[in-house]
Amino acid sequence: MRLPIGINEQSAEPLYYQIEVQLRALIISGTLQAGTLLPSIRELASQLKCSVITIKRVYSDLEAEGLLRTKQGTGTYVSHVEEQSREEHRLGVVIEAIDHLMEAAKRVQCSKQELEQLLEEKLKQY
Amino acid sequence: MGEHAIALNSVKLVRDHFTFGPLDLEIPKGYVTAIVGPNGSGKSTLFRMIMNTIKPQQGNIHVLGEQLGYDNDDELKQNIGHLPEEATTFDYFLKGYDKAAFHAKWFRGWNNDTYQRLLSNLATRDDLQLKKMSKGMRRKFDLSLAMAHHPKLLLLDEPSSGLDPIAWKTMIEVLHQYMENEDHTILMTTHIVDEVKRLADYIVFLIDGQVYGTYEKDELLQSWMTYFIETPAHSTIDIRSIPGYCEHKLVSNGFYEVISSKAFEAEQWLEQQQVNVRSKQLLELDEILLQHVKRARQFAK
Repeated sequence: MRLPIGINEQSAEPLYYQIEVQLRALIISGTLQAGTLLPSIRELASQLKCSVITIKRVYSDLEAEGLLRTKQGTGTYVSHVEEQSREEHRLGVVIEAIDHLMEAAKRVQCSKQELEQLLEEKLKQY
Repeated sequence: MGEHAIALNSVKLVRDHFTFGPLDLEIPKGYVTAIVGPNGSGKSTLFRMIMNTIKPQQGNIHVLGEQLGYDNDDELKQNIGHLPEEATTFDYFLKGYDKAAFHAKWFRGWNNDTYQRLLSNLATRDDLQLKKMSKGMRRKFDLSLAMAHHPKLLLLDEPSSGLDPIAWKTMIEVLHQYMENEDHTILMTTHIVDEVKRLADYIVFLIDGQVYGTYEKDELLQSWMTYFIETPAHSTIDIRSIPGYCEHKLVSNGFYEVISSKAFEAEQWLEQQQVNVRSKQLLELDEILLQHVKRARQFAK
């Protein structure tokens, strides 16, 4: 199976983080359903041209979050995500994006009014 | 890093025009480690020492948990697959399958099905005399031989030399399949950037007989960056104080090109200093090697 995960080489975000965010989104959005067998660590590493160390980290982080589970000897599967935690995760992704937005706004000393105005403009297109 | 497949401890070898070490080196078990370095840096010497065909004057070497040099060679080599840089010539007159028969006799783990599958996967054959094989055909045949006894450790000295792009891709796939078993380890040398990208988990820089760092590949490739920056007018910023500073060039008044080996810290620093980053570009592995070589040779002076 090929996972629709893309890597931005020029990004300052570490590779494991980029992959983790995308894989988490695939699970939470339900694109990858509970019980789906994921590619082996070596397989995904070769698809994404990264090292197994990076993929091991991604799988174990997502396992700790309860999104994946590993059965000894058979592989790594997508866990069953509860409707409620799916909802929490879903909004969590958006909240995180808003945090990024506010940081970016602060960097260029954008005022609260300006930010509100920009958001209002953008929301019209939503 | 967990267990080691290979460990060198204070190993030193002095030859007329070349000194290897003294150095320590550990190759983690279950991973692919690529040795990268300029010609004549001691890569093949290292392989010969691991195969116990030359002995260091100092230090000791452990391979798969056994210390070399205690008449344990034969036993140890049952678990090693070795693809030397140059194909052997003393057995030119043999047909491929004759050489395979010799291997089958010698290696207890030899599996004829595995051997046949490798030959067919790699699209090569063994019904020719070795001297009649093309370079690529011979390379693929030798790789099949090296892997057919299910070794735990594969030593590959420039495995892809002589392979066309299609054969190269197949070789990468074959090696990935081999690494699906977590007990397996590959130690390889290569000059091909893409090969390191596709295969390696760890990278070791071996320069003029010395080890200049063992790195996790993804971390290494993400941390070397060239920045094209514009400093504010009348600024007194010293570009040399950027974290991970390596070298810089003045492009024109106020515009610099600077290389850092610590991209994450460098980016924060640039932001704090309110420096305008016009663009940035990751260094390729060969450029990172060049930086290591420069530093190593400067240090040696």
